[in-house]
Amino acid sequence: MVIASAPIQQTPRRRRRRREYSVGRTVAAAAIALITTLPILWIVINSFRTSTDIFASLSPLSWTTFFPEHVTMANYSSLWNGGFYRALWISVVVTTFSIVIGLVLTSTAAYALAVFRFRGRGLVFAIIVIGFMLPFEALAIPLYRVFTDWGLANTVIALVLPGIANGLAVFNLRQAFLGMPSSLREASRLDGASELRTYWSIYVPLNKAALINSAILLFLGQWTAYLWPLLIINDPSMEVAAINLAGAFAENSSDFGYSFAGTVILSLLPAVLLIGLRRFFLDAGASEGDKG
Amino acid sequence: MTQQRLPPVDGVRSATAPERAPRSGGRRRRHSQLAWILLFLAPTVASIVLLRIVPAIVAMKDSLYGQIPGSVADANFVGWDNYTRLFGDESFHQVVATTLLFTAVVNPIQVILALALAVLVNRRVWGAGVVRILMFIPVAVPIVGSAIIWGIALRPKGPINGLLDLVGLSPQPFLTSPGQALLSIVLICSWIGIGFLMSFLLAGLQALPEEVYEAAKLDRSGPFRTFFQITLPLLRRQVLFVLVTATVANFVVFAPIQILTRGGPQGSTNILMYDAYRQSFGIGNANIGSAEVVILVLIMLVIVGVQFRLIRGED
Repeated sequence: MVIASAPIQQTPRRRRRRREYSVGRTVAAAAIALITTLPILWIVINSFRTSTDIFASLSPLSWTTFFPEHVTMANYSSLWNGGFYRALWISVVVTTFSIVIGLVLTSTAAYALAVFRFRGRGLVFAIIVIGFMLPFEALAIPLYRVFTDWGLANTVIALVLPGIANGLAVFNLRQAFLGMPSSLREASRLDGASELRTYWSIYVPLNKAALINSAILLFLGQWTAYLWPLLIINDPSMEVAAINLAGAFAENSSDFGYSFAGTVILSLLPAVLLIGLRRFFLDAGASEGDKG
Repeated sequence: MTQQRLPPVDGVRSATAPERAPRSGGRRRRHSQLAWILLFLAPTVASIVLLRIVPAIVAMKDSLYGQIPGSVADANFVGWDNYTRLFGDESFHQVVATTLLFTAVVNPIQVILALALAVLVNRRVWGAGVVRILMFIPVAVPIVGSAIIWGIALRPKGPINGLLDLVGLSPQPFLTSPGQALLSIVLICSWIGIGFLMSFLLAGLQALPEEVYEAAKLDRSGPFRTFFQITLPLLRRQVLFVLVTATVANFVVFAPIQILTRGGPQGSTNILMYDAYRQSFGIGNANIGSAEVVILVLIMLVIVGVQFRLIRGED
């Protein structure tokens, strides 16, 4: 990112002009970054103090709001008693299944749409466009009726299924696959490779960035899901981490420590992934926009 | 469903057509290719049909049936009754008005701020890389966590009021008042969404060729003129993408409302998405809830369609 903004050769006069601008800009950018990150710093720090301590420090605002006098891990251990870690395990299982199955589905579909011409292709495209134009949340309520009729309530399958078919991931992958020279596929087929082998040994390894991007989309969709697990799961032993947190907050909204510690843990994995893999995430955004 | 639409002779054509020269093997190859197409596409198509199209049809069908809430009798066909009931119901008018107000406020705020931030950090700012990552951090917090954080921060005796007190302003009721609750939800959704939206616009900005700006410089175009006459038109596709993404996402905002206000106080945050949930699961009137889902999707599609027209239509 820093490299991307490295200055190109400039005349001295222009460089000076740029610098004049950048002082105000830097201050503004830093102030805004502070506003976005202050709430996060606040909960990270406060997750290490007791709920009574947090409550006492909320108002009036003072330095103790941000700097605890006594540090404790009590909230993180109370998450055990509240069933948060078990719920977190279910979130991990559900998200892992969704990413693996979702990647196989979206990438094979993208391969078929990128390399084959066939009748009905337009229809398939239309279905996939509907797949990302209609927000899942709006259809979660009727889907709940369908799934309960089929006896899928309170199952891992019910949690995984909505996370696997991501229209946007199909489009991004297809876009990447279209960038592959067709001579590669021809050569592979002249060697007697099947379509499956061409897909797996040529297209998949050469498009890791697009696959990582799709994995992030699938991951975010499941990890942050709230409405669907709220509807389809009513057995507490099957609840996911987000539901556990919201449930604890609804039951005892003054146990700030539990909420803060849970939020910190729930945010750790996405934070590491998003910052570490940010490049892949943004690249897809650009190509999505280019495509319009 | 693609199966019947594929006659064996000319239905399937390889993208790399010239290679199927050996005439005798052509037919078999086309059949095997058809099998691959089905194998590769069927799971995705089937899951989208199951997860999006089937529930949409179920919602439409259910919205035409009626049942006394809590009754065990089967629902019977009532035609447009649920819709006429909703359209004649003043509390539903308020739900639609709240939804439209929320959409009209939250989306411009998010897109304009995201655009301003993207332009700001696109320039050579000291530590720009760090600032960009920091702005992106709220994306990592799952929406439930964001709702809880802000619910606590906006308490009457919370840190935001502490901050207002510190700068000499009087404390505000935020989520607890009918006049401010919806704006508080706008604030929460913006904090969640702006960094995410900004990242797409920033990627678009960085893809713009440097020469464009050099030309603007030679033209002695000022920063505002450069932005409105050069940057913005070139960025139109990304702006459209971000606007549509925000609009769709904000139509189905659920967690902050369900966790923090439950549609209140006095229905001031009761947008369609939450009311459809409340009707279906709180009051137990699933058919009215289904009608609301249908209305929600229709309004959303109309607004997204208008956005496409307005921004795309300038071509």
